[in-house]
Amino acid sequence: MPITEKRILKRLYVVAGGLFLFAGVVLFKLVSIQMVHGDKYKKLAMKRTERMFTIAPNRGNLYSDDGSLLATSVSRYTVRFDAVTVNDKDFEEHVKPLSEALAKLTGKTSSHFQQLLRKAKVNKNRYTLLARNLDYSDYMAVKDFPLLNMGPYKGGLILEQKTVREHPLGKIAERSVGYERKDENGYYTRVGLEGAFGQYLRGVEGKRLKQKIAKGQWKPIGLDNIVEPKDGYDVYSTIDVNIQDIAHHALLGQLEKYKADHGTVIVMETKTGEIKAMANLGMTKDGKYYERLNYAIGESHEPGSTFKLMSIVAALEDEVIDTSSVVDTEKGYWKIYKHRVKDSKPGGYGKISMAKAFEVSSNTAFAKTIHNGYKEHPSKYVDRLLEMNLGTELGLPIKGEGKPVIRSPGDKGWSGLSLAQMAYGYEVSMTPLQILTFYNAIANDGEMVKPRMIKEVKEWNRTVLRFKKDVINPSICSKETASKVKQLLKNVVEKEHGTGHRLYSPNFSMAGKTGTAQKNYVSKDPDKLKYISTFAGYFPAENPKYSCIVVIHEPDKGVGYYGADVSGPVFKSIAQKVYANNPLIDEVEFLKESKGKWNKSHQDYFAEAQKKYNKVPNVKGMSGMDAISILENLGIKVEVHGNGKVKRQSISQGTDIDKVDKIVLELS
Amino acid sequence: MKKGILDVLKVKFLVSGDSPKNWLFIIFVSFLATVMIGSSHNADKKVHQIAALNEEVKELRSEFVDLRSDVQRLKLESTITKIVKEKGLKPSETPPKKIKVKTSKD
Repeated sequence: MPITEKRILKRLYVVAGGLFLFAGVVLFKLVSIQMVHGDKYKKLAMKRTERMFTIAPNRGNLYSDDGSLLATSVSRYTVRFDAVTVNDKDFEEHVKPLSEALAKLTGKTSSHFQQLLRKAKVNKNRYTLLARNLDYSDYMAVKDFPLLNMGPYKGGLILEQKTVREHPLGKIAERSVGYERKDENGYYTRVGLEGAFGQYLRGVEGKRLKQKIAKGQWKPIGLDNIVEPKDGYDVYSTIDVNIQDIAHHALLGQLEKYKADHGTVIVMETKTGEIKAMANLGMTKDGKYYERLNYAIGESHEPGSTFKLMSIVAALEDEVIDTSSVVDTEKGYWKIYKHRVKDSKPGGYGKISMAKAFEVSSNTAFAKTIHNGYKEHPSKYVDRLLEMNLGTELGLPIKGEGKPVIRSPGDKGWSGLSLAQMAYGYEVSMTPLQILTFYNAIANDGEMVKPRMIKEVKEWNRTVLRFKKDVINPSICSKETASKVKQLLKNVVEKEHGTGHRLYSPNFSMAGKTGTAQKNYVSKDPDKLKYISTFAGYFPAENPKYSCIVVIHEPDKGVGYYGADVSGPVFKSIAQKVYANNPLIDEVEFLKESKGKWNKSHQDYFAEAQKKYNKVPNVKGMSGMDAISILENLGIKVEVHGNGKVKRQSISQGTDIDKVDKIVLELS
Repeated sequence: MKKGILDVLKVKFLVSGDSPKNWLFIIFVSFLATVMIGSSHNADKKVHQIAALNEEVKELRSEFVDLRSDVQRLKLESTITKIVKEKGLKPSETPPKKIKVKTSKD
């Protein structure tokens, strides 16, 4: 067939037709992807390269009152090893020194690591755990280890960073500082100060759209929907690190000595209600003590004899008794219905004043007085107690405050015995902090202030919020009553018959009340019977600065269980330390120039000492002390014989100082 | 229509009489493109820089807290008591006395 132009054209049309068809199909697919499945693919593409990030804010720091860190966020590092990316030669060369370095860091053996690394190499493990939760200095050390110092690609180093909350004081005040955790449902577990002030510390999460770029980094893009993260504020608590330290160790020592189950100490500033220390220690299975639960706030228990203060204040206010009223403690026990109220001293105390009954902590005296005084109107006693805010919770920011129990006549559990029992601290229940708040109110002449744990909320140097003292009740009792019972509290320690006299120290004063409450007494089984030893009070006895309560649960009965023996020493050592740490200041007037002969002699010496000498001066007739200091200041060694005034000098006046090495003075 | 396509194919807009105007526009657009690419790279660089700085901040912070913890623990009375015990020292039971001299101006 001849090749004509027409034929060529025809073929071309076929080819072109084919191409157009192909183009049409491509176009169709394109439109279909773009229009029909467009959203799906667009999303997929976005997911790869763009993502909405939630930016976590930095949590604020928790400080003590002097600015020491109680809790802060830090980075902790986990080191893993990628065994595949490392080549065999490097691996063989470095595996041994690397194992040794790791062994030194973690305390495990070198062979353990060598085995681990070789196994990872054989199994092609790309994610072998080497060490967890390293702090910064360890992390820096690991980066310099052999093999790992070659980086992620040649050395197989994988580093993971996470932010954790660190307590720089460690075990001290661990529970009081606490923590805050958020579960997957967004609920918070809030413990201690961290939990209580989470709203300030937390900050606000930010949001930002980011696009993936090189080196695994994300670049922020777009201008819409930007939410800047807001860092949490810093919280300054009222905790005093030094007092906390003293309280912690004093409590720990005493718990160990008495093998007690648990105990708590709270120290509160009298005027302001600031909690200066709060230690809670409980025994674990292995017999060691840790901060486990916040007993100070959470544990409501029968206070025992410490409640006698509340009883006597109520009775004084209602004028049921006076401190001088005489009460017969009989023979150490008093029978009411079928119950016997006993004194700790067999045989009783005979007829004593109410004041002495308080000081020796007589149960019979209190049971009898309160019962007889209020039996016509039991509700009057109860109402008085409630009026003194003993029946209400303090409403603390820390969660889990124990409920106080003060029963009223007619309530479930109320009986004819109740008045007598309540008088010395049974059938009522309070937490250590609630008891302390009352004692503090007495120390404060009747003004009840709310215990406070937060001082300030700050953003860097700017104060966001400042907390002031919070008065619960400006006057729980009259000033007279307060001053009367303050004297009693002082006598408990000062007077020889007082239950706290063993704690007496002539150096400093303190006032307080002992308490030894029985626990698990219902079963009447002597093995199950346990004790709660308490000491509550304040120091110094005049112008109280701090009030403090020490509660120790279930001390070993074989070692001792009285409040004065078990809890008292903790109280004392805190009072003692606080006393010893505050310098006594004596102010003296600046002495005006006096015109005596001492002044004259000093003036002479001063004039002499100010002169510049090139030659040995004449020191004859000068007092030895002055002569020595002048000569020694010239750089001459001085030898002295006798004392008094200079009679003779071995090198005479006018000799060049450079030539003189030593001079002998004779005094008389 | 046909003529228009042909003109485009013949890149007439680059050679015709009013081409300088088009050239100018093309140069302007390329300049903008360059600036855009440049700033995008610049932004990337900034992101890397920020990441590195953040890493450094974290490390320094961690170092600060570690050292601060050590100092705070060393400062505690209980620690000091333990350390000086070997030297036969113990905390004083009485407070130090401070004598303050009041200076009057006259």
